[in-house]
Amino acid sequence: MLPKRFDQARPFVVLAVILLAWIFLPLFAKVFTRATFFEIQAPLIVSDSFVRDLQTFWSNKTHSKDELLKAGQQVAGLIAEYEYSNQRNAYLEGEILRLENLLKIPSMPEYRFEAARVARRDFSAWWQRMIIRKGSNYGITVGAPVVFAGGVVGRVTEVHKYTSVVDLVTSPTLRLAATVAGDTRPVSYQGGLNNSFSSPRGTVDFVPLDVIASPSARKQLVTSGLGIFPPGLTIGEITTLEPSADGLFKNGEVLLDQRLGTLTEVTVLIPLNPEE
Amino acid sequence: MPRHDYRWLVVTLANLVLWWLVGLTNHYLAGSVPVYLYLGGLFIAYGALRLDPKHGLTATLLTALLMDAIEPVPFGTSLILFTLVHVTVLYGRHRFPREGAVFAVVVALLANLFLVIALSFLLVGANPRPGTAWLRIFMDLICSQAVIALITPWFIALQDQAMEFMEIHPETGRQVHR
Repeated sequence: MLPKRFDQARPFVVLAVILLAWIFLPLFAKVFTRATFFEIQAPLIVSDSFVRDLQTFWSNKTHSKDELLKAGQQVAGLIAEYEYSNQRNAYLEGEILRLENLLKIPSMPEYRFEAARVARRDFSAWWQRMIIRKGSNYGITVGAPVVFAGGVVGRVTEVHKYTSVVDLVTSPTLRLAATVAGDTRPVSYQGGLNNSFSSPRGTVDFVPLDVIASPSARKQLVTSGLGIFPPGLTIGEITTLEPSADGLFKNGEVLLDQRLGTLTEVTVLIPLNPEE
Repeated sequence: MPRHDYRWLVVTLANLVLWWLVGLTNHYLAGSVPVYLYLGGLFIAYGALRLDPKHGLTATLLTALLMDAIEPVPFGTSLILFTLVHVTVLYGRHRFPREGAVFAVVVALLANLFLVIALSFLLVGANPRPGTAWLRIFMDLICSQAVIALITPWFIALQDQAMEFMEIHPETGRQVHR
């Protein structure tokens, strides 16, 4: 018969066995297990997203025709503006192509736009992520940039069959190469300032000393084009800048778009010619 | 004919339902109030206190793998942490009135506190300002602990009812008639 102390410590022996088994488990088994357990839960995550869409549909059905007509009229002006912008964009893209051929410079990366509904938001102090309702079945790739009307949303970090996980621009694990609007010098943006009961913010580093920003005179921070994001997309507004510890650059805080916390639909930019 | 013992499955499914509800709550909180609820300790309480070690550990391991699959942590982090908490409770549970709801609340609260602190030490280093992050973690922890204190009796009762519905005694696995 085993001593009583060993009998009582048996659970810790089991813990040690599980720990050793997990350490020596092959990587492909862990990858397969993770994918399996994610896909088991994916229908639950996606189904409540569909239920919310259904709620919105039936809520809209209760509106009278007059209310819907008024809403349509308000949107009509916006649609006219966007149609003009689309035509202008097509002309400008033609001009860019003509200049690229004339000057023999490499083409800018082109993207396919894939709109996706947001199924689940997961905003904690450790990570800031969302799950969208499109995955490899729509050709979404890991690392694809994600945007919305207000600018950068984040980057796709995981792709599954019917869902993808997006790391938000507010996440401490996301770093971007950025520039101050109107400037060409690169700066570094990182998310992660997500205090309770305050707006989401990020940090900006390696800002040139001659750049000045304050809460009353904010500077727009945009993507630089170095990396996966096309240039010129809005990240946020720099509200404070202070000299860094070494005095060579400035560091500061970036105020991000409030709408990031309530997004229901985003657009994934899928590169048409991914780099090999 | 041998009767199959599904105690681990009942507890795992109950944990999955709670995990889904917590995810839904966090989804709606993200849009309005920047607070995040983490109820990891509650997933361990019933399995560690009421089930026999084999079934309880199985349920805890499966629940931990479900959480690890969603979270952006090294796969196996929750597995190791949950198992550590589970075996610690197993080691000391015979000394306390583990059938009562109050003790279950205490175990869930302490387990959750340990899990949040352990996860924070692992993950907060990536934050550009860890001091600010710890303030947010502290606020989230307070809210999470308050929710655990409120819903633990309900969740324990839910799983007890599920066992009763399946006509199984939670610890022995023997058939009990309604």
